[in-house]
Amino acid sequence: MLAAVLGFLAIVGCAVPACAGPSLEWAIKAAYLFKLPPFIEWPGNAFASPSSPFNLCIVGSDPFGDLLERGAAGQKLGGHPIVLEHLTDVSQNARCQMMYVAGDPQSVAADIAATGGMPVLTVTDSQTDGRAKGIINFVTRDNHVRFEIDRAAAARDRLDISSKLLSIAVPGEPDQGAQ
Amino acid sequence: MRRSIRFNASGNFVPAAAMVAAGFLLALAVATIVYGTQFYTSQITRDTTIQARILASTVTAALAFDDTKTGKEYVDALEANPAVQAVAIYDAGGRQFVSFSRDRQSPPPSAAPSAEARIANDRLNVVVPVMQAGRKLGSVYLQTEIEPVGRRLVRFGLIAILVIMTSLVVAGLGVSQTDLANANTELEKRASELGKINAHLQVQIDQRERVEAALRQSQKMEAIGQLTGGIAHDFNNLLQIITGSLDMLRRRSARWDISGDTAHDFDRLVHAAAEGAKRAAALTHQLLAFSRRQPLAPKAVDVNKLVLGISSLIGRSIGETIAIETILAAGLWPVWTDPNQLESAIVNLAVNSRDAMPNGGKLTIETANAHLDEAYAGAHEDVKVGQYVVIAVTDSGVGMSKDIVDQVFEPFFTTKQPGQGTGLGLSQVYGFTKQSGGHIKIYSEPDHGTTVKLYLPRLLTVRDEIAESVQDRAAQVATANATILVVEDEEAVRASSVEMLRELGYAVFEAGDGPDALQILEQEPKIELLFTDVVLPAGLNGRELAEEARRRRPDLKVLYTTGYARNAIVHHGRLDPGVDLISKPFSYSALAAKVREVLEGPE
Repeated sequence: MLAAVLGFLAIVGCAVPACAGPSLEWAIKAAYLFKLPPFIEWPGNAFASPSSPFNLCIVGSDPFGDLLERGAAGQKLGGHPIVLEHLTDVSQNARCQMMYVAGDPQSVAADIAATGGMPVLTVTDSQTDGRAKGIINFVTRDNHVRFEIDRAAAARDRLDISSKLLSIAVPGEPDQGAQ
Repeated sequence: MRRSIRFNASGNFVPAAAMVAAGFLLALAVATIVYGTQFYTSQITRDTTIQARILASTVTAALAFDDTKTGKEYVDALEANPAVQAVAIYDAGGRQFVSFSRDRQSPPPSAAPSAEARIANDRLNVVVPVMQAGRKLGSVYLQTEIEPVGRRLVRFGLIAILVIMTSLVVAGLGVSQTDLANANTELEKRASELGKINAHLQVQIDQRERVEAALRQSQKMEAIGQLTGGIAHDFNNLLQIITGSLDMLRRRSARWDISGDTAHDFDRLVHAAAEGAKRAAALTHQLLAFSRRQPLAPKAVDVNKLVLGISSLIGRSIGETIAIETILAAGLWPVWTDPNQLESAIVNLAVNSRDAMPNGGKLTIETANAHLDEAYAGAHEDVKVGQYVVIAVTDSGVGMSKDIVDQVFEPFFTTKQPGQGTGLGLSQVYGFTKQSGGHIKIYSEPDHGTTVKLYLPRLLTVRDEIAESVQDRAAQVATANATILVVEDEEAVRASSVEMLRELGYAVFEAGDGPDALQILEQEPKIELLFTDVVLPAGLNGRELAEEARRRRPDLKVLYTTGYARNAIVHHGRLDPGVDLISKPFSYSALAAKVREVLEGPE
């Protein structure tokens, strides 16, 4: 998968830090989505079986185009095949291990709240309202794509985040969306 | 000796063991160095790989999310390790993510290298993958400096020097141990030699003590011999007067006018006096024999023949209760000795044996050839090494203790009752044997018997016809009319001799000393025989007189007389060849026979 992303970056033809522009930014974010799961540990009941799929759910309008389809094709995460799923809203029945939530802060906050208590890694992009931030919230610092991590939310959802990942996270806005 | 053998064995063993030990130490040192070098390489490879893995494991997130700042922090943290020369992290595409280089000489490669661990130019290059949850995110390159082989060898050099010094010490100890063992062996050998020398010295001391004892005994015998010889000389002169006078008295009495009881008494008394004089003469003769001053008339003698000749005589004299056996060796050597004296010696021994066997027994007379070697000569006084003829007289009698054996040769020593023996028998045997250049040895054991061995020197060249066993020659009185000159300083003896010769019918002149005798010889050319005493006064002894007389009268015959043999005509106890001698005291008939023998003999 990473090779595919990087291959894509190579096609684009510019180095990550030096590049700017919407398409590159989304390409990096798409690549990050696939790079995040190795640093996260889900609870045992998050998967029905060792071979059941890893559901990457996209809630709201998909900003990545076909980047995610191409990245997920034939990829596995620890034995689980990656399956993309597009949702219009979050239902209790949806079996998502990772959820990218897009949209206006109110709807995003609502969607995130809807996953409360479930072992779902929620990812949001550039949210400023604490309630609208997922466990991972992409931000841009020094012209680089970075992310905030809401450790409290992760703990609540029984997700174990690698300290290595925590060590490169940027500090979040004080206590926003912590509740 | 036993210890020295053991030391010898260890003397070879110790240096070998020391060499083996030293060699073992050296081999151990080499092995340690080789092993240490390899261990060092594998250790540093492992350490470096671990460091690279730690970096790879911590840098995953920074690499995955392109956080060069954090990545650089991790990489720079390794700068604290002085061994680390260069570090680089590459992403999954092989592009360099972050890097660190201590110097410009060996920058990390710009693209991810493939080799896992490689040593080049004293640098260790390690490449490990960056993995996260089973996914490879990139790779880490770590270059560390390894200590050059030379410097490592220098470090090991100290150990090597210590080991070599230890080996040398061990080898040196081995060598000095060997030297010590050799020195010990040498010391023991010398101690053993010293012991042997000491033992030899002890033997020599014992031998010398024995010889000195024998010498003292021999000196004592010599002193006694001189004494007895002197007495015997005077006695012989006196006995000559007595026996001569008695002879004349008896002969002349036949013409005297006496008869009946008077004649009978006269004959008895003269006979008793003559018997006494005869026994006195026998005693004096034995004294002379002991003192070795009896004149010997040696001849070549076949001892076997002599023993055979007297064995019947001995058998008669020792009685029927004693069996006599003679064992005569075949091929017995001749000896040069006086046969009469040898007979006397054997008879004396036989008589002693008889007296040692009052209840009968066995007497053995045995002859044999013998060789007395240096060991025997060394252990006995006055014995020459050489070939001898042995006459051994053995009895089965009462034997003697050692104390008695030591004294038996002394004159007048006797174990017999007073009146049964003179104590001169063995003295005669001793004196005769010594005078003949021989040796006598007594073996005796109380209650078992005694053996006396006479050793007489072998005669190597037969100088004369083997003598016939001497037989008593009957005196044949010649009625010669030859003229004789008697020279004798002792007047009484001279008178006796002159009277006897005149009685025998000879014309006799007499002189008291040499010069007188020569003058008479000048005036009386009829003189055929010079009858002279050996010992004379006035500057000329009998021998010199005879030589002077012979120069003037070459056909003159000479008969010597003496009571004492230690003088001019007897050398080493033996008569010179061609010399006629009649010993004092001589009887009328003996003188008659001798004078006639000389007169009728060749020139």
